[in-house]
Amino acid sequence: MNRSITLVGVAALIAMSTSSFANEHGASKARADAPSTEVAWTPETLALIRSGNAQKGSQLANEQMCASCHGHAGIAQSNNWPSLAGQRAEYTYKMLQDYKNGSRNTYPLMTVLAKPMSDQDMADIAAFYASFKLPPVPVGTVIDKALADKAELLVMKGDGNRLLAPCMSCHGYKGEGNVVDVPAMAGQTPEYFIRTMQDYKTGKRSNDVYSRMRLMAHSLSDQEIIELANYYANLTQ
Amino acid sequence: MHVDPLEKRWLYVVGGIVAFTIAVQVYYAAAKGIHPPSNVQTIDSAKLHLSKEFAENNLGVHKNTDGSLDVTMVAARYGFYPQEIEVPIDTPVRLRIASLDVLHGLLVPYSNLNLMVVPGYISEANTTFTKLGEFPMICNEYCGIGHDYMYARVRVVPKNN
Repeated sequence: MNRSITLVGVAALIAMSTSSFANEHGASKARADAPSTEVAWTPETLALIRSGNAQKGSQLANEQMCASCHGHAGIAQSNNWPSLAGQRAEYTYKMLQDYKNGSRNTYPLMTVLAKPMSDQDMADIAAFYASFKLPPVPVGTVIDKALADKAELLVMKGDGNRLLAPCMSCHGYKGEGNVVDVPAMAGQTPEYFIRTMQDYKTGKRSNDVYSRMRLMAHSLSDQEIIELANYYANLTQ
Repeated sequence: MHVDPLEKRWLYVVGGIVAFTIAVQVYYAAAKGIHPPSNVQTIDSAKLHLSKEFAENNLGVHKNTDGSLDVTMVAARYGFYPQEIEVPIDTPVRLRIASLDVLHGLLVPYSNLNLMVVPGYISEANTTFTKLGEFPMICNEYCGIGHDYMYARVRVVPKNN
């Protein structure tokens, strides 16, 4: 019974998002001069995120059916979607705001879901997902150790010639993320990781302030992105 | 007052070192034009990307009507944005830079550019590049574990280019 309700809900949301996609697409040209994100890390915003109530967030996540893609404990149901367990609250909050404001357009369904949320709702949901541990190696994912090992040089040393700072200098030694809004990547599903990096590379995703991640992704080869995806998926806490 | 001759000698040595250090600083300040940042305009670093001057589409080299250049940059862990600027040789350049996060520095070899980029303030400096070529712009204030990877490029090109 529960399952069929979820299915109907998801189908309805996908239908809604398809129609909203056309609108968003037209608006994207006007956004060329807009800042990459409306979110600023002012003391007020940080205080709001700190005030997030994980229990209320859990209820909201239930109502919004977040679990149908992101899993009940924030561990993605399929490798196509991101796991949110253990993600920094600031990052989850910023993504919800970016979807709502149109700064991030990579997945129209998320825009539809974020639109009715208040700032406090977003802080609560962010606190809910931040309350979990980072996810283990994604189920059904076979990590290619050889590929993962190749990424280690980039992660630890970067590449000065390409102005690539080491990944760990921002995302942490264990891929745990960093202040303020640098996302955790340990245990992230490789398919989602690769898609995100490709979106940064092509500019489809552009909600990183001062293009910091877009510039990085642009300097990386497709093969390096695959190696990094394997590395971070395997970086279980 | 009795001062032991050995002590006196050391007083002269130490006094000499202090005088020499000050003289070096005075020489570089007066003859080479290297100054601490004197512009103390303030800005909210948290909202830097939402400001008008340091908005993402306003960064880079802007040409003034008198031929001089304004360069607007942002320092953020771990890089300078834009990552590469191109300026003509022997042209007055006014650089304005602000930090998005923590304390950074900015140093360009073979120029008088050596600034602290303090969050909350706009750092400004005037310079003229007199050597052709590609120079690194490096961060010289420890800003975190990616500090030693934080640099950008300045390309000084011939004037008519």
